[in-house]
Amino acid sequence: MIKLYNVSKTYAKSMTKAVDDLTLEINKGEIFGFLGPNGAGKSTTIKMITGILTPDSGTIELNGINIADNPVAAKSLVGFVPDNHEIYETLKGTEYLNFIGTMYGVPPAELRSRVEEYAALFGLTDALPDMISSYSHGMKQKLSIVAALVHEPKVWVLDEPLTGLDPQSAFQLKQLMRKQADQGNTVFFSSHVIDVVEKVCDRIGIINHGKLVAVDTLENIRNNDKVSLESLFLTITSDGESK
Amino acid sequence: MKKYLALVKLLFVQQYKARAVYGTKKKRAGAIALYIVLAVCFAPVVISVAVAMYYMGKISNGNVYIGTFFTLMCQGLVLMFGVHAIMSNVFIVRDADKLLYLPVRAHVIFLAKLTVAYLNELITTAVTLLVVLLPFALGAHAGVGFYLMLPIALLLIPMLPMLLGTLVAMPLSALVNAFGKNSSVKTVLRILIYAGIMALYMYLMYGFGFLTGSDGSIMDDPEGFITSVLGDFADRLENVMPYFHPDYMLIVGMLATDIGTWAKGFALSLGENLALFALVLAASLPFYRSMLTLSVEDGASRRKKTGKEQYKLHNYGAVKEFMLNDFRRTIRDAQTGFQSFAGIIMMPLIVVLMYFMLGLTSEGDSSFLDLMRVSDLYQVIAPLVILVYMSFIGVGTNVLGLYPVSRENRAVYILKSLPVPFDKILLSKVLLATAVMSASNLVTCVLIVALFGVKWYYGLAMLAVMLLVGFGAMCVTTVLDLKEPRIGWENFNSGLKNAKNSWIAMLISLLSGVALALVSVPFILLYALFDGGWYFVLLMWLFDLALGVAFAAVAYKVMTSKSAKYFERIEV
Repeated sequence: MIKLYNVSKTYAKSMTKAVDDLTLEINKGEIFGFLGPNGAGKSTTIKMITGILTPDSGTIELNGINIADNPVAAKSLVGFVPDNHEIYETLKGTEYLNFIGTMYGVPPAELRSRVEEYAALFGLTDALPDMISSYSHGMKQKLSIVAALVHEPKVWVLDEPLTGLDPQSAFQLKQLMRKQADQGNTVFFSSHVIDVVEKVCDRIGIINHGKLVAVDTLENIRNNDKVSLESLFLTITSDGESK
Repeated sequence: MKKYLALVKLLFVQQYKARAVYGTKKKRAGAIALYIVLAVCFAPVVISVAVAMYYMGKISNGNVYIGTFFTLMCQGLVLMFGVHAIMSNVFIVRDADKLLYLPVRAHVIFLAKLTVAYLNELITTAVTLLVVLLPFALGAHAGVGFYLMLPIALLLIPMLPMLLGTLVAMPLSALVNAFGKNSSVKTVLRILIYAGIMALYMYLMYGFGFLTGSDGSIMDDPEGFITSVLGDFADRLENVMPYFHPDYMLIVGMLATDIGTWAKGFALSLGENLALFALVLAASLPFYRSMLTLSVEDGASRRKKTGKEQYKLHNYGAVKEFMLNDFRRTIRDAQTGFQSFAGIIMMPLIVVLMYFMLGLTSEGDSSFLDLMRVSDLYQVIAPLVILVYMSFIGVGTNVLGLYPVSRENRAVYILKSLPVPFDKILLSKVLLATAVMSASNLVTCVLIVALFGVKWYYGLAMLAVMLLVGFGAMCVTTVLDLKEPRIGWENFNSGLKNAKNSWIAMLISLLSGVALALVSVPFILLYALFDGGWYFVLLMWLFDLALGVAFAAVAYKVMTSKSAKYFERIEV
C-alpha cells in the first residue's frame, strides 16, 4: 500500500512546485496508472515514493512504514524500474543482479531461481554474462525490470516501463503487473501510453502542473463522462495548461 | 569553418559540464575563502620556483640553452599530462554515436578534438610560462622583444608536446584497443604506459638537470660556485638543445637583442611548428578514422555469441559488495579507471627516482645517500620525512577518494533508492579508496626499506600511520564530495579531476603532513639532545599513531553524522 499525504516538492534550482500538495492512496492488490503530460510531476512523485527525493512537506507511507522515519525498511519493500537507462554500464548483467540481490538481502539460491525465471521470461538469459554497456535500450529496460523483481517487492514502482520494450516483452510485463497485484502487492506505474493504462490499470490518477487533477477507477471515469480516457486526459491537461 | 568552430565550442564546453545537484539555495561564499587559504598555502612553493628561475636567468645571463631547457621542462609537463588526455579525448572515442550522424566530415571532428586538446594544454602552458619562463627572462633582463613574443610563445609552446603526444598516443591507443573486451586490462595498461612516460620524463629532466662540475666550495664563494655549476650545465645542454629546434629558435628569438635575430627566431619557430603540425595531421587522420570505425562497432562486438553461458550468483555482505561493485565499475571505465588508479604509481615511482638521484656519485666519491646514512639521526628522520611526503602525495593523488559520489554520475539515484543506510555506502567507498592507497603505501614502504636501508619496523610504523591518516582524509574528502556532488559530467578529467575537491584534498594532505611533522619534531630534538635515547623514537611513533587514530575516528564520526542529511539533499 502506498499513501501520500499533502506531499509537496520544489527543486532547489526552481521556483515552481514540481509536486503540489499531493494526497493519494493506492491499495494492496491494485494497479494504479499515473498519467500526466511531460513535466507534470510524475517522475518527481515516483522518486519521492522510492526515496530518491525527499519531500519538502507531507508524508509518504509504504505498507504503513513512513519513508522519512524508516527509509531502509520502506525502501526494502520497493522494486523500482526507472525511466532512464542509467544503470551501471561497466558491470555485467549478472554482476548487477548480484549487487541488487545483496543490497536487498536475497539469499543466493532464491536469487538464482528468480533471475533464471525472469531473465528467461524476457529473453535476457544469454546476455547476462555480457557487459551492460553492450546492451540495447530495450535490454537495459528488461534488466531493470528483472532487478526490480528479484527481491519480490511488496510495492512495485515503474516509471514509463514500456519504453523500448519489444511487443513480446511488453506483453510479459503487463502480465507480470497483473500477477503482482493478484498476489496482493501494489503496482504503481506511470505511462504516456493511454491504451496500456486503459487495459492494465484498476485505477488511474492524472497529474498536471504538480497537482492531482483526477483520480478514480476507469469504470467510474467512463461511466461519468461517457468519453474515452484519451479525450478525458487531453481535456483535463489542456485545461490545466491554459490556467 | 562554422561547423568546426561550433564543434570546438561544444566539445570544449561539454567537458567542463557538470551540474551541482545539492538541494540548497544558499550561495557559498566559503569557496572564495577556501581559494584564498589554498593560495596562501601553495604560494611559497610557486614563489620559490619563480625566484629560483629569476636567479637562473640572472646568473646565466639569459643563456639560450638553459632557456630552451626550461621551455622543454614545461613542455615535458604538458606532454606528460597531455598524452593521456589525447588518448582518452581524441583516439579512445566515446562520443562517436553523437557526432557521426551529423553532416560533418570526420577530419573536421578530428581537428575540433585536437583543437580542444590544444586549448586544454594552453592552460597548463600559461601557468608554467608564468612561473618558469617569465621570471627567467626578468632575471636575464630580456629586452622588449621577449615580452612582445610572449603571447606567441604561449601559443607555440604547447604545439610540440601536443604533436609529440599525438604521435605517441597513436600506437599506445592501438595497443590499448587491441585488448578489446577486457577493459580492466586496458586500464592497467594505460597506467603502466603513463608510469613509463613519467619515469622517462623524470629521468631525462633529472639526468640533464643534475648539477655537477665545480671544484670550489659553495661556502667560500656561493656566486662563483653557482656560476661555475651553471656554466657546466650550459655546456652540456649546448650539444643537445639545438636538436629541439622549434623551441631553441623560439628562445633565441625571445632573448635576442637585435630585431633580425628576433624575427628569424620567430619565423623559424612558427614555420617549424606549423610544418610539424601538418605532418602529424597527415599521419594521424587515417588512424583517427580507423579508431572511429572501431568504436562504433565496439558495442555490438563486445556481445558474446557463444549462446547460453553459465554465470555465477553469490551474496556477499553489503559493504563488500559495494566495494567490489565500485572497484569493477571504476577500473573498467575508460575515463574513471585511469584517473582513479594512476595516482597510486606516483609515490613508488618518485621513491625509486629519488634513490637514483641521491645515489649518484662522481667517480670515487660517496653518494649523498651514503653520507646521510652515516648519521645517527638518519633512521629517525628519514622515515618521518618520507611519511610526511607520503601523506602529502598519497592523499592528494588518490582520485578514487576525492569524488566517490560524483563518480557515480547520473546513476547516483541507484544509491539513493537502495535499502542500505547511507553511512554504510560511504564506508564502503572510504574503505575502497583507503585500500587502493594502502597498496601504494605498501609498495612505497617496501622500497624505502629495501633501497634506503630504513629499518623494517619503521617501515611498518609508517604504513600503520598512513593507513589511519589516509582513512581519515578519505572520510573528509568523501563527505565534501557528498556535500556538493557534481553530476552530469561528460569528461571525468576536465569536469571533475581538477575541480575544487582536488584542491581541498591537497590542502588536507598538506595539513596532515604538517601535523605529523609538528608532533614528531620535539621527539627528534629530544633524541638528538639526550644522546639518542630509543624511547624518544618509540614515543614519537606512538604519538604519530595516536594522532592518526584520533584523526580517523573524528573524520569517520563527522562523515557518518552528515551522511543522511547530505544524501537526502542530492536532487536527481
